[in-house]
Amino acid sequence: MEEFLQQMVTGLATGSVYGLLALAIVLIYRSTSVLNFAQGEMAMFTTFAAWTMLHWGHYWIVFPLVLLMAAAIGGFIELVIIRRVEGAPILNIIIVTLGLFAILNNVATWRWGGIPKGFPAPPEIQVTGVKFFGEGALDIGPTVVSYHDLTILVFAVGIMAALYLFFQYTPLGLAMRATAQNPIASRLMGIRVGRMLAVGWALSAAVGAVAGMLIAHLILLQPPMMMGVLLYAFAAAVLGGLDSPVGAIVGGLIIGITENLVGTYTPQDILGPDMKLTVTLIIIVLVLLVRPTGIFGRRTLRRV
Amino acid sequence: MRRPGRPSTSKLVVFAVLAFFLLWWVPFSHVLPGWVPLGLGTYRTYQASMIAMWAIVALGLNILTGYNGQISLGHGAFVAVGGYTAAILMVDYGWPFPLTIILGGIIAGTLGFLIGIPALRLTGPYLAIATLGLALATPQILKKYDGLTHGTQGINVRTEVREQVDVLADFMDDVFGIHLNNDQWIYFLALFIALLMTVLALNIVRSRIGRAFVAIRDSEIAAQAMGISVPRYKTMAFAISAFYGGIAGGTYAQVVGYVSPESFNFLLSINFLTTIVVGGLASILGSVLGAAGLIVVPELPGLVGFIPGAGMPAELSWAFYGAALILVMIFAPYGLAGLFHRLIRVRPAKVLESLSTAYSRSAEAIRRPPASPGQTGAGPEDRSSENHPDAER
Repeated sequence: MEEFLQQMVTGLATGSVYGLLALAIVLIYRSTSVLNFAQGEMAMFTTFAAWTMLHWGHYWIVFPLVLLMAAAIGGFIELVIIRRVEGAPILNIIIVTLGLFAILNNVATWRWGGIPKGFPAPPEIQVTGVKFFGEGALDIGPTVVSYHDLTILVFAVGIMAALYLFFQYTPLGLAMRATAQNPIASRLMGIRVGRMLAVGWALSAAVGAVAGMLIAHLILLQPPMMMGVLLYAFAAAVLGGLDSPVGAIVGGLIIGITENLVGTYTPQDILGPDMKLTVTLIIIVLVLLVRPTGIFGRRTLRRV
Repeated sequence: MRRPGRPSTSKLVVFAVLAFFLLWWVPFSHVLPGWVPLGLGTYRTYQASMIAMWAIVALGLNILTGYNGQISLGHGAFVAVGGYTAAILMVDYGWPFPLTIILGGIIAGTLGFLIGIPALRLTGPYLAIATLGLALATPQILKKYDGLTHGTQGINVRTEVREQVDVLADFMDDVFGIHLNNDQWIYFLALFIALLMTVLALNIVRSRIGRAFVAIRDSEIAAQAMGISVPRYKTMAFAISAFYGGIAGGTYAQVVGYVSPESFNFLLSINFLTTIVVGGLASILGSVLGAAGLIVVPELPGLVGFIPGAGMPAELSWAFYGAALILVMIFAPYGLAGLFHRLIRVRPAKVLESLSTAYSRSAEAIRRPPASPGQTGAGPEDRSSENHPDAER
């Protein structure tokens, strides 16, 4: 039972990171129908930049700066590159993001080298005697939870809530939702559609940057670190439904937990931890066969 | 689909395939004696063989994605099946390689058919990610069931390939007096298989089957209304495409002489998709051009000295490749094949047009006093350039 709870919590934490990156993917997908293969590398790149900046300043000063920088990079990529292929076939845009993937990965390797680096967890903050963030473990009765896992959960929930408020209650959020739903009508209503897309990319890059910094503490910071996470994030986004932000987080959590449970509770000789990815993927495909647009995805009706 | 009046693509393709396989190295190689690729070093010969192998996968993937509109990010799995079939049969059972390649193709094709059935339910990005899952699972499966696959260490086929190719080399030497070394014979074998598969692909896409694929891609409902069995042809496209992957895998085993789980990681599958989009979707020529580009472009920075004087040549070769991908997609959305067609087809037409407008202008000028500028429209000019790539998409 203890082990089960332990696995559940670990699964929830890693699942939240997958969910955050999946959320970044969904933010871009639902407004521009682009599957951004460079999402993970963007996060990796900003995490490396954060690592450099941490030599100069305190974590909680660097953190917002990194988010701003990530947003700037995301907006820049949309304005300078993605805009040039707007309206092109989906596959072409996918290839452009793969090109970005290669560039970011190669430049990071060239600039920072391939040797794995340690990345700090968010330092602890004491609020009225209660410890937040930081490292170490917390005893919650039946089992022990690492502080960083809790941090990840807090961030995931916080970002979801912030985005929900942003999309529901701000004019900019409303304009972005309108753009995602119907770009032509939005343009007719006076919304700067192009600007909204750039903001979408900026927002998504910032969310990805958080995921990158949180996971970098668990797996060391190195250029290929986000590849595995990106693939899980894709799986999470697809499982939840590519146009549903809630689905992305839920999908991430489901995948994180499934992965941990499969690794622990399946027979070692034929499945076991080596096959957890495979089993997880098979489960996702089975879910997709029942719901071809994911759990929360909308089924689009097509006119003939 | 072919339109009347268009120059025969089959000739173009065969010509281009030959030209690429034989001449691609010219700007990059300072070793010129003899006849290509005989004057090449071992590494270049190996690369030329790899282009042939990539071209086979690209042809198959293009049939599925380009002609039938189903995205697959999992073709590495089929290549792995072909590669491992060839390697296991040659090393553990001593089979001759041509049989292993064919059997690898058939097994991969069967697997493709089986995967094509659940794929019927999925479209677009959902299918892309589901097939990406296949690519991800491949190395894990290969590592796990090591009784058959020899596990993480992989299978070394080099000795078996050398022995078998030596028999061929000796035979050709004795009977025809052709002296080629082992690598060169492997290259010609790969080239031979690639040409065979190219001709087969040309025939498939022009047959009733190929037209059914295109009809389904353009509109499943319309195709169904015309009496095409959509599930049947979609699974068939998967099977054919996977068959190509299997054949390519067998070729890979011969060329590289070694298969391991990490040879078939997911990046390989993603690169296959890149190859056909950059080469040109729904284009046989594009598949071949894309394969050549994939091998040659990352080499360019090292060869020409990327950013002269900056002192960062080969280290940034993948960034260079990535930038090349983006530029091709921005400036040549129909890929290299579209660019190629535009270059060879539009030029003469444009020349004729400008001649004829010049003529009519001068004729007009003779008949009456100066016409107002801008009357002679530039109308037909643009149309001819759009004409081609759309015809095939």
